[in-house]
Amino acid sequence: MKRTLLLALALSPLVVLAADDDPIPQRQDLMSDTREALKPLIGMSRGQVEFDAATVSDSLAVFATTAEKGPALFPEGSESGHDTEARDTIWSDPDGFQQRFTDFADAVAAAQAADIQSLEGLKAELNGVLGTCKGCHDDYRVEKD
Amino acid sequence: MRRLLVLAGLLLLGFWWLSRPLGLSPEDVPRHAPDLANGERMFNAGGCGSCHGKVVDGELDQLVMAGGMVLDSPVGRFHVPNITPHAEAGIGGWSELDFLNAMRRGVSPDGRHYYPAFPYTSYAKMNRTDLLDLKAWLDQMPQDANQVADHELGFPYSINRGIGLWKRLFLDDAPVIDIDRNDGQLDLGRYLVEGPGHCGECHTPRNFAQAMDTSRWLGGAPDLEGDGRVPNITTGRASFADWSEDDIAYYLEAGVDPDFDVVGGSMVAVQAHLALLDASDREAIAAYLKAVPGVE
Repeated sequence: MKRTLLLALALSPLVVLAADDDPIPQRQDLMSDTREALKPLIGMSRGQVEFDAATVSDSLAVFATTAEKGPALFPEGSESGHDTEARDTIWSDPDGFQQRFTDFADAVAAAQAADIQSLEGLKAELNGVLGTCKGCHDDYRVEKD
Repeated sequence: MRRLLVLAGLLLLGFWWLSRPLGLSPEDVPRHAPDLANGERMFNAGGCGSCHGKVVDGELDQLVMAGGMVLDSPVGRFHVPNITPHAEAGIGGWSELDFLNAMRRGVSPDGRHYYPAFPYTSYAKMNRTDLLDLKAWLDQMPQDANQVADHELGFPYSINRGIGLWKRLFLDDAPVIDIDRNDGQLDLGRYLVEGPGHCGECHTPRNFAQAMDTSRWLGGAPDLEGDGRVPNITTGRASFADWSEDDIAYYLEAGVDPDFDVVGGSMVAVQAHLALLDASDREAIAAYLKAVPGVE
């Protein structure tokens, strides 16, 4: 009993480390953050929230982080678990998948460079960014109810 | 023995008669001056390019409808045909009657049945004038000489005449859902969803014969192209019931839902087409979806 306890204690940092290192919850959190950052931009586009240039800039910064951190969070071995929506095409077509992140990064960089100062400017750039979200969700995500 | 032979012969005759392709006749083609703008609207409502489009280097060109995509289904592999106006490889040689027969009756110019992987079960509900507009619009699109392979189907699905019996049971040009026809917006929404939009083909579960189970109309189904599910888009699903008509219309326009999730799967190509419709068409679709009986 004592030995089991010791063993468990000795291994516990490893267990915690493994949980921290699990890329699936990490990428799920990253997508959640991205969705949260999209929220005010959609609100503005739909005329439900007033346009605010600083908020737009903050959201674009979150998107840039997603584009930067995303590609490394789909390693081999992370195909299943945690109710993941990742589709097997991510691993059967890794180049195509990585290219989608590059497209996203480019669209976000273009939106940042456009220095959006008006609702019209936001609408013009947002379409391009959303296009790159769709360009990946269409082939590399499993649709669930 | 002789009686048995006579009986078998009669059964065969009965099958032959019941399963024959039922085409329209020339007088069923209305005199109509085609409206190209409306033809393009029908194309966008239907998203023809999502299946018929040409894939070049992994990118789909929805405006060159050269076909060639493969649909894997429980009954076999279907090769999507070329519908560009190319005279030999496409449908450039088709008459107006040929086009109406294909879309409303699922019958080819040489009098064979089309497999319902081509969703004529929905297009049968379209107006003839809208179909003629669509034909005129398709006729002025780019040609492509791509020759598409034949479908690969196992027995008994390979028996073309079998579809004739299937059609007797499941091909119907009447609307699916009863609505208040005095409400013009609802009427338009029903037409767009049940007809050209052919939304039920993916969103409605299929019965034992692979026909849409209209008792669970738009109630969600397994995704035949991906490995997930095509969602229930009736108010019977709590999360969809929360969407306002404006939310639905915005989703169809921008591809972002009220939870700020961005559209995925096969719906991406569909939404790209729907975004090109007039706002009033998307609003009509939204109004209709809110009026469809909820499926749990």
